[in-house]
Order: sequence, then structure tokens, then C-alpha cells
Amino acid sequence: MIKRLVLLFLALSPFLAYAATGCDLNDPDRDVKRLFPTSTGYKTSYASIQKSGGKATLAAVEKALGDKFGGLYETIDAPYTIYTIYKGNSVIGYVHGVNQKGAYGGLQVFLALDTKGKITGFYYQKLSSKNAAKFKAAAFANQFTGLSLADFATLDIKTGKGTGKAALIKNPSTATDKDFLNTLRGVKKNLVLMNVFIYNK
Amino acid sequence: MTDIQIQAKDLSKVYVRGSEKIIAVNKITLEVDKGDFVSFIGPSGSGKTTLLHLLGCLDDPTSGELSIEGRTVVSDGKSLPESKLSPLRRKLFGYIFQKFYLIPTLTVKENILLPFAFHRKPGLAMTANEVAERLGLSKRLAHLPKELSGGEMQRVAIARAIINRPRILLADEPTGNLDSKRSEEISEILSDLNRSDGLTIILVTHNPKLATKAHRIIELQDGRII
Amino acid sequence: MPTISGIAYKNLRRKRIRSILTILGIALSTWVLVSLLGFNRGYENSLNKDIDNLGFQVLLTAKGCPYEAATLMLQGGQGLRYMPENTVDSLRADKEVEELTPMLMQTVFDPGKGEEGGVVGYLGIDPATYPKMKPYLTFREGKWFSGENSMEAVMGFESAELEQREVGDQILIPGKNVEVTVVGILNRSGTQDDGTIFMPYKSLQKIFGVQDKLTSVGIKLKKTANINAYEEKLYTIPDVQVVSIAQVKNTISNLVSTARVMVMSIAIIAILIAMVGVMNTILMSVWERFQEIGIMKSMGATTSHIFRLIWLETTILCLFGGIIGSLLSVVLAKATGALIRYILPYSPTGSLIRIDAPLVLESMGIILFIGLLSGIYPSLRAARIKPIEAIRSSEGEL
Repeated sequence: MIKRLVLLFLALSPFLAYAATGCDLNDPDRDVKRLFPTSTGYKTSYASIQKSGGKATLAAVEKALGDKFGGLYETIDAPYTIYTIYKGNSVIGYVHGVNQKGAYGGLQVFLALDTKGKITGFYYQKLSSKNAAKFKAAAFANQFTGLSLADFATLDIKTGKGTGKAALIKNPSTATDKDFLNTLRGVKKNLVLMNVFIYNK
Repeated sequence: MTDIQIQAKDLSKVYVRGSEKIIAVNKITLEVDKGDFVSFIGPSGSGKTTLLHLLGCLDDPTSGELSIEGRTVVSDGKSLPESKLSPLRRKLFGYIFQKFYLIPTLTVKENILLPFAFHRKPGLAMTANEVAERLGLSKRLAHLPKELSGGEMQRVAIARAIINRPRILLADEPTGNLDSKRSEEISEILSDLNRSDGLTIILVTHNPKLATKAHRIIELQDGRII
Repeated sequence: MPTISGIAYKNLRRKRIRSILTILGIALSTWVLVSLLGFNRGYENSLNKDIDNLGFQVLLTAKGCPYEAATLMLQGGQGLRYMPENTVDSLRADKEVEELTPMLMQTVFDPGKGEEGGVVGYLGIDPATYPKMKPYLTFREGKWFSGENSMEAVMGFESAELEQREVGDQILIPGKNVEVTVVGILNRSGTQDDGTIFMPYKSLQKIFGVQDKLTSVGIKLKKTANINAYEEKLYTIPDVQVVSIAQVKNTISNLVSTARVMVMSIAIIAILIAMVGVMNTILMSVWERFQEIGIMKSMGATTSHIFRLIWLETTILCLFGGIIGSLLSVVLAKATGALIRYILPYSPTGSLIRIDAPLVLESMGIILFIGLLSGIYPSLRAARIKPIEAIRSSEGEL
């Protein structure tokens, strides 16, 4: 009883109030093995727009994304966790997730990427939606495989229209469900940031 | 009629060092009159300084009698308690020593006035300026001891010793650390104090010139007057 | 004209570095002492305030039901137990009760949370009574619910951040497919409320189909009420458990008292060290001035004069050290608080260290007293110096 009371009070402690606002894998060991079955290990690193050039970089990212950064997760110093995947001594890819505001809550959009920036895997680590099952279905996720930032370049994330392959991705849910566009924005943001942090470093 | 100020009878002081007994002062009987100027001479270890300390109530004798201005200070080898000696000392005596013992953090003026911090003879005491003028220290009052010459330091010590107008001045080798010219100055000052103020002076010295200023020269050897 | 205090003061300036170091030592002890005494009072005060902030002194929950959302989550959302809503009415009849607020906790499994899903908790509250009991909950955005049956939510700072919600946004109660509008986001309060999603309890009853049921009732007693006696009375109600904040407070106090004893021991050691330092400084200075003191005695200084002189030096050292230390403790109160917060297992919010004039004076008194105590021995030694010993030691002649 007493122990639980103490636990309770520790829970009240203000220390816990300051959690990091990054986007980490829930279980990196398991997740990495699932996304890169041939991997032998991974390294975790942290990046932020602030550390990668500051305001100029932020402007460039917003331009590439076609939207302004806003809200709690899209600050200039928000930390991003990048998992670099190894097979032996050589890098075989990356895993990177971003937070994206959704219709009913925060989305966590994770991408597995190869060394050239091509998507090899897409999944939601977190999603609140009435149509969660449709969004999480393989049929939807598979449409992202093989795409890279170039395919999203002309995609207008506010309408979902554009000339690249990304514009061909089909909305798994109802036409009014905003989470489709939210997801596209999350994926594009993810790619743009990875371009800044890794591929175009 | 002579006015006997200090009367010592069979005064002895014995030190015990390990198993050795040293008789520093050996049954000395002596009278000093008011206004007298006495100098003790003798080789080192002859007991002259010890005798001075005994007469000045700084040290307790082993045996004998001592009275000062009619008051018994030592009776049958027993001194008055410290609480009675202390007021006696400050009332009657002024002391100067070979080393001047000035307080290094105080100015000349403060050093001269130091006795007032503890005691001031009402109506009797001189002012610092009076004393300083008399001893040629007027221009040095604001200085610190380290800025003075040896002669000046001893003059400050004398000034300090007489500011409360003692009746007896005890001087232990007052010129011991000074060159001949400065020694001469100090001798003059002491003679003058004796002459014009009627101050009784008892002096211990190696300096024959200084000794001759005295009315009486008492030579000691092995704790006895010879 | 020189005075004894003047001589004492000037002497301390003679060995400046030594005096400064000694003063510094005393200042540090004073700082430690003031801070710790301040802490003893500030801590108690802050803890009481924290407890008051909880709003109710007694929490009545259905027997076996976890009493806080945090615990509930740790248990995976299992183990909810209920009491009938009309319990509130019988409780309200008691004269010792000032205010009470019904609460209903609900959890739901959200398959979209993480790989395997996770538990989301909701705290149903009464918009009429709950906000009054938690006056420290302030809004960053929006306000409390528009009605007791509204499909609205108020989110704690953390939960809003996690879900990236703003006022006007929707949240979804998974499984129930109910959309709820966010009407308010709270400021960070430093309590578990930061991670809580609040809803009107009547709405939750409807959504989850637990009409006329509650999980807990928060009870605020009148100031005059006897909490222990009241708790005893509550135990006569069947199938409830009573969680008393007084109990929690005791636990915390016990937890902290160990740390406090440790810190106090350190303080005492610091003071002892300072004391020995003072004694050493003064003794050294006495031996160095052996002859000076002897000469002073030959010119009429009495034992009590010398005692006063040396004691005054001690007093000056302690006074300066005390003043500097007190200033230090006032200026550094915040930093010291942060340090203690870091050391202690649990610290309440609010200022940990309370320093005011009486406390500073009290500490200065203690330091001065201890300083004077440590000055006694050197002063006595100095006062006992005989002029002849001092002179003989230097002239080296018989």
C-alpha cells in the first residue's frame, strides 16, 4: 500500500512532465529486425533543423514541403531520431519517424529507407482514426514502397494532386477523411527531413 | 631626609632547569630612593635583568622581602596575587626593553596611547602631542612602526612607557639594539626624564657610556652585588 | 586613541589572507546553516501547499479500484470497480464535509496506439465541483465543458502535446467510435493532471454504459473536521477504500526525513570545521603576539582586557562571516533549492527554501554563539600569559 502511494506521488513529480517530444521507435530491436530482416545492428542518432542550419534550413524544408511548420512538434529545435541500419560494417538503410497532426490525434509516420532514399517500408506507429484498419492495411502501405522524395516533389499535400508517382496513391478511406492528406504530408515531411539530415548532407 | 621608594631585602631568585639549580639573584639587599637613577651592570648571566624584573614586580622572587613606596609586595618570598600586582604595575611603573615591542598595526600615535586602552590616570596623563614633542616624534605620529628608525622606535617605546606618568621607569638594555649615536640620544632622554621630572630610573645595560649617566652604578656578578 | 576593539580589528587586517579565509569558512557554514533551516521550514510549507493543491484530503474509491489514472494505466487499464452514484448524497449529508466531487475513471484499449495498441484513460469529473477543488489548474487555451452532458474534453498539457490537439480539434474514443471535441487545454501543472484527458462524468457514464456509477469521490473536509475520525466513519460504508492524503504526506515525510538527517549532519560537520578553523586562527594569532600581549599586560592590561581583545577578534570574524554567509544564502536561495531538489527523492513544487529576517538573525545568533564559544579557549590562553614569560621568551636572558 505504502509503496503504491509513493509510486503515485512519484508519478505526480514534475520531473516526469518534461518528456522528450521526439519520435522514437517503441521497440527498436524488434522494429528494425522487422523492417530490415537482413540487418545485423543499428545506430541511433539525433538531428534537428536547428543543428542542421537553423532558419535557412527551416525555410528550405517548408518550401520543399509546400507548407509551413506549426504546432508543438514542428519547431525548429524538435529532435528527430534516425536509426541507421547496418549489415556487418556497411549501412543498408535508415528508419525515421515523424509526428504529424491527424484528425483525431497525433500520427506517427515511420519510413524505412534504403541508402538512396527509396522507401522500403511504411507504417503508422500511432494512429487514431475510425478507419484505422483501412489505413493500416498492407494494400495502402505497399503503395509507398519504391517511391522517393522526387516522386513527392510536385505533390500538393493540401489537395493530394501532383504529377509524380505519389499522386497516384489511393485514399483507402472516405473522401472526407482528412487523415489521408495528413498521412501524405507526414510522409513528404519525413522524406524532406531525411534529405536534409542524411542524403543531402 | 631621603625618601626610600624601593626596598629589597635578601631578595633571591632560583631557577630549576632539569636537575640543575641556577641562582639568578642571590640574597640581594638594596634601596632605591625617589628620583634616583640606578644602573645595573655586569656580564651576561650576572642576574641584572632578573633583578630588574623582581624590582618591577614582573617576576616572583623565590625568597626575600620587597616593598615599594611603603607597600609590601613580597613578604617572606611570597608575592601579592596577580590581581593586586597588576594595578600596582600600571600605577607605578613604566617599562622599556631592548626590543621595542611596538604593535606593528598601530600608528606611532596609537602605540604611544596604547596604555590608555586599558587604563588612564585621571588628570595625570600626558597627551600624545606633549610626549611626542618632548621625544622629538611630532612629525612621526601618523607613521607605522616599520617606517621608523631603531632610535625612533625606542623613543616611541619610551613615550608609551611614560604617557601615564609612572613613578619608576625600568629600562632593560634600552640601547642594546642601537648604534652609538642613537644610544646617546636615548641616554640624554633618560637623563632628562630623571632630572626634570624626578622620575626614578632603574637601568640594565652593557653600555658603559649609558651607565655613567646614572647616579649609582651597581655591578653584579653571579647574582650578587660586588 | 586606540580602543580594544580598534586594536582587535587592526590585528585581523595584519594577516589579511588568513582572516579572509577564516571569514570565508564561517560564511560557508552560515550559508549551509541558513539554507538548511530555511529548507526545514520551506519544505514543510511547500509540501502542505502541494497537499492542499490536491483539493481534497480524502479520496473514497470503490474497494480494489485503483485510485489514480496513473496507477490504472500501470495495471493496463484493468481492475475498475464501481460504487453507486448515490453514495455522494449520503456523503454530502455529513456536516464535516465542505465539498465533494464525484469522479469516474474509464479506460479503453486503443489498437492504433503503438504496434500492439495501448490503454487510454479518461477521467470523468463534475464540471460544477471539480474545477473549484483544483484551482491551480489553469487553461492555456479554452475553458471547462459547456455542460455536464456535453461530448467535450479538456486535455492536460502532456496529453494535448502527444496527440497534437488544439481547442476545436476532435479526439476519438477508440472502440466506441465517439467523437469528442477538445474545448480546453490546461497549462502544465507539474502533476499527473498533465497527462489526463478530462470529460464530464455523466458523458462518460453514457458512452461506457455505466450509468449511476462512480469510481471515486474526492472529499474536502471543513477545516475544523477531525480527519482521522472522519476516515474511521467512512470505513463503515461497504466496499470502499479510503485513501487519505495525510497518509501520503506521512510517507513522503518519512522518505525525506532520512535525507534531512543526512543533510543536517553535513551542516553540523561544516559548523564544527568552521569552529575549529576559528579556534586555530585565533590561537595562532595569540601565539604570534605572545610578546605583544605580555607587553600590554606590563603596561596595565588586565586579564579581562586581554580576554576581551581576543574575544572581540573572534566576534569580528564571526560577524563578518555570518553577514556574508547570510547574504550568500539569500542570493543563492534558488540555486540551493535546485540543488536540494536534485538530491531529495521527492520535492514538492513551490519554493523549497524559505529565508526571512528572523531566520537569518537566528542563524547569525547560532554562528556567533558557536564562534564565541570557540574563541573562549584562545582568549583564556592569551589572558593567562604572564608579562615576564613573554619578555623572557624574547630576551632569552636570566
